[in-house]
Amino acid sequence: MKKVVSIDIGSTWTKGALFALDGPAGPAVLAKRDTPTTQDGLGRGFLAVLTSLLGLPPETRLGDLPRDIPVYFSSSAKGGLAIAAVGLVPDLTLQLAKLTAMSAGGKVVRSFSFSLTEDDIAVLESAPPDMILLSGGTDGGNTAYLFENAARLAASKLQVPVIFAGNRAAASRVARILEKKDVVVTENIMPEIGQMNPEPARDKIRGLFLDRIVAGRGLGEIVEVLGSRPKPTPLGVFELVAAIPRVQPDWDDLCVIDMGGATTDVYSNTESYLETDTVVLKGLREPRNKRTVEGDLGLRVSARTLWDAGREIILEGLDKAGLPAEAMEGFIAAIAADAGLLPTGEPQKTLDRILAEACVFLAVSRHTGGWREAFTPQGRVFVQTGKDLRRVKAVVGSGGYLSRSADAAVMRGALNRLARPAEERKLAPERPAFYADAAGLFPLAGNLAEDYPEEATALALASLKPLE
Amino acid sequence: MSDPAIVLGVIGADCHSVGNKIMDVFFSGEGFRVVNLGVMVSQLEFVDAAIETDAAAILVSSLYGHGEIDCQGLRDLCIEKGLDRIILYAGGNLVVGKTPGAEVEEKFRAMGFDRVFRPDVDLKEAAALLRSDIEARRAEAS
Repeated sequence: MKKVVSIDIGSTWTKGALFALDGPAGPAVLAKRDTPTTQDGLGRGFLAVLTSLLGLPPETRLGDLPRDIPVYFSSSAKGGLAIAAVGLVPDLTLQLAKLTAMSAGGKVVRSFSFSLTEDDIAVLESAPPDMILLSGGTDGGNTAYLFENAARLAASKLQVPVIFAGNRAAASRVARILEKKDVVVTENIMPEIGQMNPEPARDKIRGLFLDRIVAGRGLGEIVEVLGSRPKPTPLGVFELVAAIPRVQPDWDDLCVIDMGGATTDVYSNTESYLETDTVVLKGLREPRNKRTVEGDLGLRVSARTLWDAGREIILEGLDKAGLPAEAMEGFIAAIAADAGLLPTGEPQKTLDRILAEACVFLAVSRHTGGWREAFTPQGRVFVQTGKDLRRVKAVVGSGGYLSRSADAAVMRGALNRLARPAEERKLAPERPAFYADAAGLFPLAGNLAEDYPEEATALALASLKPLE
Repeated sequence: MSDPAIVLGVIGADCHSVGNKIMDVFFSGEGFRVVNLGVMVSQLEFVDAAIETDAAAILVSSLYGHGEIDCQGLRDLCIEKGLDRIILYAGGNLVVGKTPGAEVEEKFRAMGFDRVFRPDVDLKEAAALLRSDIEARRAEAS
């Protein structure tokens, strides 16, 4: 029987599973383990989970582990891989740089268009990201801004890696300008207006994640001995969401919402724009596989910023539940004092649900495009910006709160709210079925998706709990 | 010198796409790097695309008679965004009714367009003018 281990090192928990890829009834989960993440050396928690899964004594040394069972693993890297995105025009290369960073499993902590100013550099120096994605210009297009921005970065105190993914014609000179820095040159993310090429930059981000970020956190030895390369956790899920419809065409048009304590991620796999005579697309034609990550939306660490961003919706929810705004203030304060807080009774459970619905609403709203009506001499047309998710057939809730859902109320409530008439009609999923990643298997199956797409798909889908 | 990039599109709330497609094919065949934004293009989209592609010229089409309103301020926007030297052409049925061509041309030149073309223009002729305008602009710059 072919067995593999998959481990995800999260910011709070290190979770693992032992899978049989060719069990009698298809791929199966043989064992699952978790342990608190050992922040001072990620390797210890990792080894504890690994030895336990394999039924070995906990003191087993790395070198004595059996070699016939491959180990896949991912890490969320101190709450997200922090990327600063630099582009030229906000709606073009900068927008694509942000999408590329997010689809690589990163979190966009800063973004800059046109020229980097002295102040921008100072901001970056005061809180350096893990890496900088420098883009701009189509191939053969603008170079002036790139040279200027490269020179500013070269003159800065920043020591973080720079990935150059801009105008091909500027690449060699940009590399020379940045030769004293850690610079990686790759293909342009936007070779032509509206044409997207995020994959090469995504690969470089992953490579840097491995070499410069994970290796320094007590995982270097594991990478060396086990010979497996970790991914940023969201990249595994991204690859799983990309694989599922390829393996199971019935599961095409899929959306996954991963709502955590600090961030909320939305993944979608559906065609972003259907060309018709009455709908005109403006801006980027977004990719079929898309991930967005919202650093201000989460139920615990980010509860305060969620309360700020979603005040109107949250107040409406409180009103409906007959609770005063002070109740929410109190709940947020309790969360601030204890980020691990689990609601014990009423009204805390209701308050948590109101926050969750607002969180899903905002995260899906930011991920989703919209239509605005325009009247032309040729008749009425719709101007679409962003991605059309109306045909999404299945919405999967993942992460703590949503994976524990007993019903679809939170996700359905958020989508119904998105469907309300407004000046811009949001193109949210119209009639999806809802599921919960009840076993928390998406990140673990995601680690396998690149090498074993069929098995990872089977494991992930079998673990889903349909929600009414 | 590489082939010059030119940005094409139909401005405003105008959905006429046939002429736009013909221009795309024609100018590509003439050796221009065509960046075609299609129909219903806003001023900002023209300018953004021209910045990213380092375009030498923007060719604005308008077929539905509202071209004058749609095109107002495009030159100013180009200057504001740092495209000081870009060539601007306008063409099509730029205004409603039977306004004489010369009057239309004068209006659009006052708005900062370098050349104005009528609907029946010979595209070969337009391409030749565009090439010489681009060369002249490059010579000025160097």
